[in-house]
Amino acid sequence: MSSPLQQVTSQEYKYGFVTDIESDSAPPGLSEDTIRMISAKKGEPEWLLEYRLKAYQHWLTMVEPEWAKVQYTRPDFQKIVYYSAPKPKVAKYQSLDEVDPELLRTFEKLGVPMDERKALAGVAVDVVFDSVSVTTTYKARLGEMGIIFCSLSEAVREHPELVKKYLNSVVPYTDNFYAALNSAVFTDGSFVFIPKGVQCPMDLSTYFRINNKDSGQFERTLIVAEDGATVSYLEGCTAPQFDTNQLHAAVVELVALDDASIKYSTVQNWYAGDQDGVGGIFNFVTKRGLCKGPRSKISWTQVETGSAITWKYPSCVLLGEGSIGEFYSVALTNHKQQADTGTKMIHIGRNTKSTIISKGISAGSSSNSYRGLVKVQAKAEGARNFSQCDSMLIGSKCSANTFPYIEVQNRTAKVEHEATTSKIGEEQLFYFQQRGIPTEDAISMIINGFCKDVFRELPMEFAVEATKLLSLKLEGSVG
Amino acid sequence: MATLTEGCLIPDLLARPRPADWERLRQEAEKRLEIQTLPTTKDEDWKYTDLKLLRERAFVPGASREVDLAESILPEARGTRLVFVNGHFAPHLSNTSALPPGVRMLPLASASAAAAGLGTLATPETSDVFANLNHARFTDGAFLFVPRQVRVEAPLQVLFVSEQEGATATYSLPRLLVVLERGAEAQIVEEYRGCGQYFTDALTEVWLHENASLTHERVQREARDAVHIATLAARVDRGARYVCRTLSLGARLSRQTPTVLMAEEGATLELNGLALLDGDQVADTHSRIDHAVPGCSSRQLHKTIVDGHSRGIFNGRIFVHPGAQQTDARQQARSLMLSDTARVDAKPELEIFADDVKCAHGAAIGQLDPEELFYLQSRGLNPETARNLLTYGFAADLLALIPVASLRRQLRKVVMAKTNAVDLDLQEKS
Repeated sequence: MSSPLQQVTSQEYKYGFVTDIESDSAPPGLSEDTIRMISAKKGEPEWLLEYRLKAYQHWLTMVEPEWAKVQYTRPDFQKIVYYSAPKPKVAKYQSLDEVDPELLRTFEKLGVPMDERKALAGVAVDVVFDSVSVTTTYKARLGEMGIIFCSLSEAVREHPELVKKYLNSVVPYTDNFYAALNSAVFTDGSFVFIPKGVQCPMDLSTYFRINNKDSGQFERTLIVAEDGATVSYLEGCTAPQFDTNQLHAAVVELVALDDASIKYSTVQNWYAGDQDGVGGIFNFVTKRGLCKGPRSKISWTQVETGSAITWKYPSCVLLGEGSIGEFYSVALTNHKQQADTGTKMIHIGRNTKSTIISKGISAGSSSNSYRGLVKVQAKAEGARNFSQCDSMLIGSKCSANTFPYIEVQNRTAKVEHEATTSKIGEEQLFYFQQRGIPTEDAISMIINGFCKDVFRELPMEFAVEATKLLSLKLEGSVG
Repeated sequence: MATLTEGCLIPDLLARPRPADWERLRQEAEKRLEIQTLPTTKDEDWKYTDLKLLRERAFVPGASREVDLAESILPEARGTRLVFVNGHFAPHLSNTSALPPGVRMLPLASASAAAAGLGTLATPETSDVFANLNHARFTDGAFLFVPRQVRVEAPLQVLFVSEQEGATATYSLPRLLVVLERGAEAQIVEEYRGCGQYFTDALTEVWLHENASLTHERVQREARDAVHIATLAARVDRGARYVCRTLSLGARLSRQTPTVLMAEEGATLELNGLALLDGDQVADTHSRIDHAVPGCSSRQLHKTIVDGHSRGIFNGRIFVHPGAQQTDARQQARSLMLSDTARVDAKPELEIFADDVKCAHGAAIGQLDPEELFYLQSRGLNPETARNLLTYGFAADLLALIPVASLRRQLRKVVMAKTNAVDLDLQEKS
């Protein structure tokens, strides 16, 4: 086979790819050699390398999906650097004074603690805001309970049997273009394992594992909750992340066994590009949870405010009898941002239930689409779904779209879908002003009310920051 | 013999001589057909509807012939009726003696000058492959015209009958153009029926000028082995009001694609649909409502009842264009599932490019409410009667709105039979 891809990569090889293996990062481009190198660098076992190569071969046969309502220049996959070894923390700035004041203002508005601000902005910090100690303390405590919370690479080394068993079990590499790409080149991510009957005593967060922040653009997360286990996992960061990467193709897999419960919360605020839509992250993420055991539950909560392009459908496969899937989402787009996001609820088992609450806010010249699938298979007796997708438009140049797919093959199923569109009315604003509340605060309160059903699902600190984040993002959009 | 099998559906149809009229329209459509192919389930718009039936069967054009209309003729439309058999005008079955002055109701073949607007609402450029096939090769159809400020009391009935001839299935390309001038008012009944195996590829265009008002009943009662594909392109001007109800009762495979353009301020639309399916029937409704200007309102209600192995598909798109402020659009899709092997696929879509709008859609799929069943049983109805009554009730509220009394009665009977709710009263008394 001599696809253009391979021609290019074989040229790369000629120009001394081998010597590059010794350096810290691979040359741009994707080939079997890149994958072998990533695998070698990470000291991975043979089975994982084989898996990557299989995924790569499959990826070569796939085409980029085009059905989403987003427009962008396709990334050039041969220009991307697929491996860059985690560099020692080099501070970009010596003190906060050197940091972009706009960024500082954002931190201040969000109420990010001072030390955290420094870390996020890349300022040298002596001890990275206690994280090291926090991590160690918590790790010991979690370890005692049998909970494994580490990077995926570590898990491959320490618990290969678990990784081997569950990796690819929910999102196979054949699933879609970006999942295949991720399976071929993923660098790192988180691994969580909660053993039988254990209730994880605290919210697990990537916050606590600073190293994870550098895991880069092809993250791979795997969370397994055994029988009766529960866990709440927080992902992301409310402060803007000034990442230069153009493409983020992450894969998240959740497995919930009998009576287990997984709650996965995300606040995504990647760089969204400037007001004219220059730059910004392409966020192409595959997230899926498998409710494998009876009465298991998976709940996704997401607040999506960043990225130039978002293409993300956290889904639940409801296999176990009486299992529950939930999706709570707030997606905000402003300026030239484009989001095509939603969920899939696949009802396979009897008496499975799902709830979808999606709130889309579009401002500026952005495009915000909800796309979802509720599928009730023939054997899913007594399946129940309730979906509500509300959109709010701010300004006359943006758009809000709703594309719910509903497929029902069982008559005992009850599926309901509702969608409405509204705006922040002059009258509402006037009412607030009448009572002495300034416009900006009024908008923030209205938005907050609009998103209440979703914020309620977020862990406390996240909810507070998310609220602030939304009003910050919309500053100057109304009026 | 012309066959409508996969590769040659289009070439075979196009190999037939082009009728002499509407030369430009037909040419443009043919040009589009050079690149348009028969859709497959890989096309997003045909995701749930397989056209296997069209690929497997061979079809020949139907000829004019004698048919028995019996109860199809509405007493109200005794003198305001056009009948077409296999796509050909049937003068002896038609009667337009009761038309008010100025109102025209005639076959397109003899109205080519008057009906010059044909193909302006469904242009070849915007038409899918089936509408373009109609453009390219339709033989005849009806032209309905109501002049300024004229109100037609009697319903205008257009009946398209198809009958298979010999062993081979037939096809026809019915066509209807309706124009209501400023302030005109009318009721139209567009009906399709027939027997045997055949394929109907219909195209209807409706233009309501300023302040015109039209209620349009579209009754699809094709034979159980027929394929029925119908395109409707309508335009509603300033202050005009369009009420359109589509009833899908027959055909093995049917597809309705109503497209309505809210073209000027203050236009209102009520677009309703009912599909009553059992056996191996498939009925697909793909609607699109375009709010192109500010201040229009649209209401859409679509109901589907599926029994047996049948499949109901609904894809309703509401598109609010930039600048179309104060749009008020609402859409409801409700489906009732009566069997374990039936299937419903629904996709209500909203695409909104204006901020000061009120838009909502809802979709609900389920079976009969156990509480309602219990209530009826507590009043002494047996479970089966209670089920039938509720099923009939689910469909009947749409029928109640039909203004033509005889049609309403007729369709009630059909729906009663289909839902086994015939003579509920008598059964209970005896």
